[in-house]
Amino acid sequence: MTRAAADNIVEVRGLTKRFHGFAAVSNVDLDVRRRSVHALIGPNGAGKTTFFNLITKVHQPSEGSIRFNGDDITNEDPAHVARRGMVRSFQISAIFPRMTVAENVRIALQRPKGISFHFWRSDSSLSVLDDRVDELLAAVGLEQMRDKTAGGLPYGRKRALEFATTLALDPELLLLDEPTSGLGTEDVERIAALIRSVSANRTIIMVEHNLSIVARLADRITVLARGKILAEGTYSEVSTDPRVIEAYIGGDE
Amino acid sequence: MMAFLGISPQLLFGQLLIGLINGVFYAMMSLGVAIIFGMLRIGNFVHGAQYMLGAFGAWYLLHLPDLFPGLGLPSLGYWWALALVPVAVGLIGAFMERVFIRRVYELEHAYGLLLTVGLTMVIEGLFNVGYGAAGQRYDIPATLKGGVNLGFMFLPYYRLWVIAAGLFVCALTWYIVERTKLGAYLRAATENPNLVRAFGINVPRMLMLTYAFGVGLAGLAGVMAAPIYQVSPQMGQSIIITIFAVVVIGGMGSISGAIFTGLMLGMIEGLTKVFWPQASTTVIFVIMVLVLILRPAGLFGKETASVHAANISMARPNSFLENGRLWLPILSGVGVVLPFLVYPVFGMKIMCFALFACAYNLIFGYVGLLAFGHAAFFGSSAYIAAFTAASWGFPPEFAVLSGMTVATVMGAVFGWLAIRRQGLYFAMITLALAQLVYFYALQAPWTHGEDGIQSVPRGYLFGFIDLEDTMNMYYFVLAVFLIGFAAIYRIGRSPFGQILKSIRENELRAISLGYSTDRFKLLAFTLSAMFAGLAGATKAIVFQIASLADLYFTTSADALLMTLIGGVGTLLGPIVGAIVVVAMQKEFATLGAWVVVVQGAAFVLCVLFLRKGVVGTFEDWLATRSESKRNAAGYTADLAAKGAE
Ligand SMILES: Nc1ncnc2c1ncn2[C@@H]1O[C@H](COP(=O)(O)OP(=O)(O)OP(=O)(O)O)[C@@H](O)[C@H]1O
Ligand SMILES: [Mg+2]
Repeated sequence: MTRAAADNIVEVRGLTKRFHGFAAVSNVDLDVRRRSVHALIGPNGAGKTTFFNLITKVHQPSEGSIRFNGDDITNEDPAHVARRGMVRSFQISAIFPRMTVAENVRIALQRPKGISFHFWRSDSSLSVLDDRVDELLAAVGLEQMRDKTAGGLPYGRKRALEFATTLALDPELLLLDEPTSGLGTEDVERIAALIRSVSANRTIIMVEHNLSIVARLADRITVLARGKILAEGTYSEVSTDPRVIEAYIGGDE
Repeated sequence: MMAFLGISPQLLFGQLLIGLINGVFYAMMSLGVAIIFGMLRIGNFVHGAQYMLGAFGAWYLLHLPDLFPGLGLPSLGYWWALALVPVAVGLIGAFMERVFIRRVYELEHAYGLLLTVGLTMVIEGLFNVGYGAAGQRYDIPATLKGGVNLGFMFLPYYRLWVIAAGLFVCALTWYIVERTKLGAYLRAATENPNLVRAFGINVPRMLMLTYAFGVGLAGLAGVMAAPIYQVSPQMGQSIIITIFAVVVIGGMGSISGAIFTGLMLGMIEGLTKVFWPQASTTVIFVIMVLVLILRPAGLFGKETASVHAANISMARPNSFLENGRLWLPILSGVGVVLPFLVYPVFGMKIMCFALFACAYNLIFGYVGLLAFGHAAFFGSSAYIAAFTAASWGFPPEFAVLSGMTVATVMGAVFGWLAIRRQGLYFAMITLALAQLVYFYALQAPWTHGEDGIQSVPRGYLFGFIDLEDTMNMYYFVLAVFLIGFAAIYRIGRSPFGQILKSIRENELRAISLGYSTDRFKLLAFTLSAMFAGLAGATKAIVFQIASLADLYFTTSADALLMTLIGGVGTLLGPIVGAIVVVAMQKEFATLGAWVVVVQGAAFVLCVLFLRKGVVGTFEDWLATRSESKRNAAGYTADLAAKGAE
């Protein structure tokens, strides 16, 4: 049994979140296998983002438990969870708008250095991180914009920047909330390729509405509707499930 | 009857009665503050002044014939006042909402607090000009004179009436908000204004009426209070800080909770007066501290997990105005020649307050936390420096260091407490904690109460530089200022400063990257307190006095005002703001009580028209100018290219 547990990076049991009595996520059990790409799909308002907020501890669950690498993190605070190696991106891009593109990425790179409380040092001491910053920016195609103010970037570039910042922490588990929404086709392909390339030695859970991306990238798919798990399996299993089809059509009426 | 613990029942029940009456006022007032806060997201600091308006309203009605002789107006008594004044005060409230408060709904809530602080200063200042500190008598209405002897105590009818009427008003308000359709709309409007708007309800009018209602409650409390307390311009000033503490203790969430908390705290205060009179002024603040430690969301609070610091920095990152390496030498140069241009004492005052404002800017501008109790650090440090220099014979450098140390420790403790709550609560908590320190200093023997610690010796710096010499003193202050300025600049541009910036920009994201942002805020708050302490201690040595004014909330407001006038979050803003405010205080010093009015008006005008401050506005102007220059250059380049074709 311990063997199976070790293969799952995340184990969620009976997870429930109620807002003013309304259950946005209700009684969800989910296992995510290590080094897999696990997609979470479902109609609008299904509770996907809330699920992310719960396992990253932005919200405290009303009920249920969360394990990460075998440790119970149900009552941990979100920063601590992030330091364990579970890092997320946000559905609405989360950047530091009045800092430069390079500074955005550097904020993430700075943490493992252990100098973040050093208020007496000059920030030029952070220049040792510049090479890594440039590498990350090149990976998402932002190397030309390094010294631009992040808030002034077009939307697709902001998402790319957020992705680079998230990657900078080299997380063991990467949570992506709709990484391709609002992007042009070219950017979508770039991000998809990037997700594939970084999935080699880590686990990814992603919420995604673009089903062709899901089909190409995901090893396993969980379908959520009205806070409950509706189906789980591979793409072909899930896409032929009549309940899933009904939920999608019913959800969009 | 038997005496209990050597305390006569008359005293016990008498104090309990007074406590209950205070409790009724706390309940009525905190109800209004809680409703306004809940529905409008405004920390209505001016509530105390509105309560005072109620009391003066009653007094005016009584004195109509004297105020307008020749018009043949009748003198209207208590019952008329009870009916008319709350409506009149409510109307004044509606007017204030319409003209001022409405303009800041969409802004960071810091501005709502600043605006109401400014309005408070204007209103209270004006009444102070008119009536001075002395209170006016207002007699108990004839119908309620006398009382009944209960055997163990004498119960005046008027007090009985206040308790009954106050409780009735509280219950009625509870009923309206929690049980009627109107209340349901109000509550819905706070959760989702767009939805309510979709129902065809005029939300702006509803907000105005809500504000007017809350303010009317304060006016009613004022009328009821007039015969008990003296009618004076200051009557609202300390009660509002207590009310904020009551709101923090109760927590947002329920109307009945606010009422219950108010009553309970009044009673506890009354009991404390019996058993430990010295502690009675501070007991509510101490309870607030305990509640924050044990139940951070408040007794009845349901904490909403909204994490976000206010981003109101006006600085443009790469502007030359933000370049400390450029400005440190310039400031040094100006500082060296300044005493030959203006009175050195004036220069020293500016530098002390500029350092204070820079320290405040570290937490308000760089981190976005609306601290409103920096007087505690400035003043405590001033007292410690004054005391160690005067009583223990410390040389000035050690006196200053002692003051700073105390301010730093205090900053760590206060920060640790206040960071448990977000946004406006943070402001209220820091304000209440500072008031706790103020009351302590008012009573402790070593601070000499109203007199303060006077004739502090300036002493010999390092044992041989005589600071009684004005020039020596001046250059010492200049050195302190420059060191403080450089240190704060460094903090802002350190690895730590980068994280502070990220917290201000997007706290949720900083957390999701693994930063425990509360710890960063705490360190920043502590550092800010330390430099505020440096400023306060230096001020005490320069002016050879530490006084209650250094600890009073107006000193916290000064720090805010200077930062705001200069430009929040900018490098030079606090200095510019300090120059403006100190010069203003000097100019208007001859006007006496008007200074407060002028300062209050400056607050209001700044919030409404100069939110970017002097430096922020200038930076904006520079930015637009360089923008249009670039465009023009681009245009000429285009022409040149065309010409070459
Ligand atoms: N903080 C909150 N307070 C109250 N209700 C919330 C909160 N967060 C989410 N909800 C509600 O929970 C439900 C699920 O929302 P969630 O954002 O998780 O959906 P989603 O699956 O991510 O949808 P989408 O595809 O539109 O992003 C929605 O009905 C939403 O209104
Ligand atoms: Mg979502």
